[in-house]
Amino acid sequence: MHRDHPTTGQQTGSNGALPLRPASQVMQLERLGSFHQSRLSFMRTLVRHMVAENWQITSPVFDLDEQGYGTVVYQVEAKYGTFSYVLFSHYLDPENRNDRVIANQWDLTMALCEGTVDAAQIEFLRHNVPKQEAGRVDSRVLVLSRANRSARTFEYVVNELTLGRQPDVDVIAEVGYLYRTTAAYGSGKLGMADWEKVRTKHPDFARPFAAEMFTCFMLRHFSMQQADYLASKRSPESAVTLHENIKRYIGIGNSTGLGMAPFLINHPLLINQWIEMRETALARVVAASECGVDEATLKRLDLATQRVIQHLGEIITADERQNSSNALVRTELQLMHLWLQEQGAELANNHYVWADLIQHAEQSWRIETQEVINTLLIELYPELVDDLEEQMDVDESQQVTPEMSVAQLIDVIEDKYDWALAIDFSQYESMGAFWYRSQEKMEPRLGQTNIDMGMEKEMPLAIGRRVRECYDRLCSYNQVRPQQNVAHFNMHNPTYSGIVARIQTMALSQYGEIRENLVHSDVLPIHLLRCKLSFFGVSKFDPRSRLWVRNTMFQGAPLISDFGKPFADDWQFPIKPVLTSG
Amino acid sequence: MKVSKNELMAALKKAFEALGFQPGDCQDAADMVVWLQTHGFDGFDRLQGALAYLNTTAPIHADLVQEDAHHAVLDGRGSSILLCGSEAVDLIRSQVVEGSWAALELTDCYNRTFILQRLIKAAQRNLGFIAYWRQQDYCVKVSIAAGAQLPEYQTFTMTGEFDAQSLRIFSGADIDVIQHQFAQQLEFGEYLETFSGEEMMDCYRDSVEQGIEIDQTLWQTLDELVARILVESTDSSRAGAGD
Repeated sequence: MHRDHPTTGQQTGSNGALPLRPASQVMQLERLGSFHQSRLSFMRTLVRHMVAENWQITSPVFDLDEQGYGTVVYQVEAKYGTFSYVLFSHYLDPENRNDRVIANQWDLTMALCEGTVDAAQIEFLRHNVPKQEAGRVDSRVLVLSRANRSARTFEYVVNELTLGRQPDVDVIAEVGYLYRTTAAYGSGKLGMADWEKVRTKHPDFARPFAAEMFTCFMLRHFSMQQADYLASKRSPESAVTLHENIKRYIGIGNSTGLGMAPFLINHPLLINQWIEMRETALARVVAASECGVDEATLKRLDLATQRVIQHLGEIITADERQNSSNALVRTELQLMHLWLQEQGAELANNHYVWADLIQHAEQSWRIETQEVINTLLIELYPELVDDLEEQMDVDESQQVTPEMSVAQLIDVIEDKYDWALAIDFSQYESMGAFWYRSQEKMEPRLGQTNIDMGMEKEMPLAIGRRVRECYDRLCSYNQVRPQQNVAHFNMHNPTYSGIVARIQTMALSQYGEIRENLVHSDVLPIHLLRCKLSFFGVSKFDPRSRLWVRNTMFQGAPLISDFGKPFADDWQFPIKPVLTSG
Repeated sequence: MKVSKNELMAALKKAFEALGFQPGDCQDAADMVVWLQTHGFDGFDRLQGALAYLNTTAPIHADLVQEDAHHAVLDGRGSSILLCGSEAVDLIRSQVVEGSWAALELTDCYNRTFILQRLIKAAQRNLGFIAYWRQQDYCVKVSIAAGAQLPEYQTFTMTGEFDAQSLRIFSGADIDVIQHQFAQQLEFGEYLETFSGEEMMDCYRDSVEQGIEIDQTLWQTLDELVARILVESTDSSRAGAGD
């Protein structure tokens, strides 16, 4: 098959003339909720830098008692600066172990600080870090975080090591981690350093969420070090340390709830940037196949596909929908595997073979399979993709264009927000939910219209509805006062100035607006969570309801002992390790 | 106590929301307060003055009372520039785009120093601004070249009649041309002092590096305002968080 142009109906990215997939396709909530980790995910980028730059991490303070409680300080010599990771390990009554944001006690609490820390600062942190939201820190702190032990794996692993045995990989696979983090706060919360300070002063963490991801990476390191430490304390003679292959397979658990959802709505320019970079990566990959691809690349894709099939087969979740989805994706990837096997030689000579594959997937397979394939294609071309990691940040200020005529703004809405105008808000279900902040730690929650309290305090996250209301007002205004501009409209209708600024700003970008009615009775916020988590780089999604999801961070990633060594950067979609000696 | 810029922004936006500001106004007002405070203009003192008023009334916006191609007069109706500032600057911006220069007067409006942030932001669209207003017994003149990140802020003694609560803004592509064009209106008394760009940047850099010092009482006031938009937690509402 020969194609002159990859696909149809595309947009052009800001990174050149490459055709990108249209927002009408990409920004559907279900598709966003099918995204997987990619080379541009923040964990992947961070790991690449740590390994290549050979960050040196030591522990000048490792003061744990026989039970593993106490204080640890890791000193981090990164490429551009020195940082301290200060961790407090506390006894926690299992009755009080709670992953929700409203919890107020945890097994571990941690802070990532700039520079070295002296005894006075450690004491200051000891008085504040364990309190998390109830404490205050200062601008020397970049990230504050906490974690809870896995009841299923931690003691099991320590016991096995104590007895001189490696833990059963199948048991590890069921959970995937020894600790779960329930929050990693940065960006100036609770008195910490602002993102502006981190971005301008600390190049090591000058990419979005890099410091937060590093905090979780260090938690992973500590979790295994603590398990080794406890085993050696319990039985110095018989204890063994965790096998390195098992260590690489151990990640950090994460519970993410609704708190993450408003972020995607409130940062449309940032989301636009993340998605545009991912789409640019995909477009570059498609363009690279203009003259076909070599057989070695096809083979790599096939191997990666088989790895995903195994990865999905090893996920254990009680969520029926996710189980069913994983099974279907495996089946469809198996079909792709067969397709690659049968047509490999011919495919190698096809023009735009990846465009053919993407099109075939869109016509034949479900959205989640399509996005797995897109992720795998991006993985094949690090040399085309990895530079985009430096373009994941953006100025987020929105600006009104006051001279635009009202008639023009109406046209803009009809063009860019047709998805919002297509929603029938006269239907009860279309406004069946509302978002609000709870008194409990200002936690965002989803209420049912006319059933739950708090509608009058609704958060302004219903972008589709606000656009609709603004559009209706603009149309009636334009009838009465034709020829007027947006400055006049806003002056007479100040209620709409915020949504007008958003519409005019976002009209200049391609992605950013999630094309879904987020106040529909049946809205699935879990898709929002998963979209953001995919950019973080998590894996093994395990939905616990439509409102929160468990997942695994850094599972399969290199260890600190791997820093500075040759590195394939292919740790996505982790699979059970095969133990070898050593 | 010290707070970060980000948490201050978040607290201010919610506090303004609690005071009845619309989403766009919350953002703009928070931007204005934070800019002033982080650039050494006593934003918190001015905020406290504004809150005393804003806490007693529903949000009031300015009325457009007179307009031609190059001139506009807005009646601030005794409100705060935190509410009227954006619409005034947007209006003059639209006039300049369409007619290359414009002059705007906003009357009966308070807390006018906050306008600095709106003018700086608008200057990033390649527009220059000169603004002046009476502050107690002296006059403030602000000049911002197109694209400039900081204003030139000067004070002068008063001469002639100055409406105590009005603000005048002149705009065009080149502030030297604007200065010349409106020279008569931009004549003030004796020069008093300049708040230099270096001083502003020193304040700003310090706020980024060390955080922003805020009086505990004001922080508590913001907390109390924020509490107004929070919803009581119940077993039912916990279900709406995934329990």
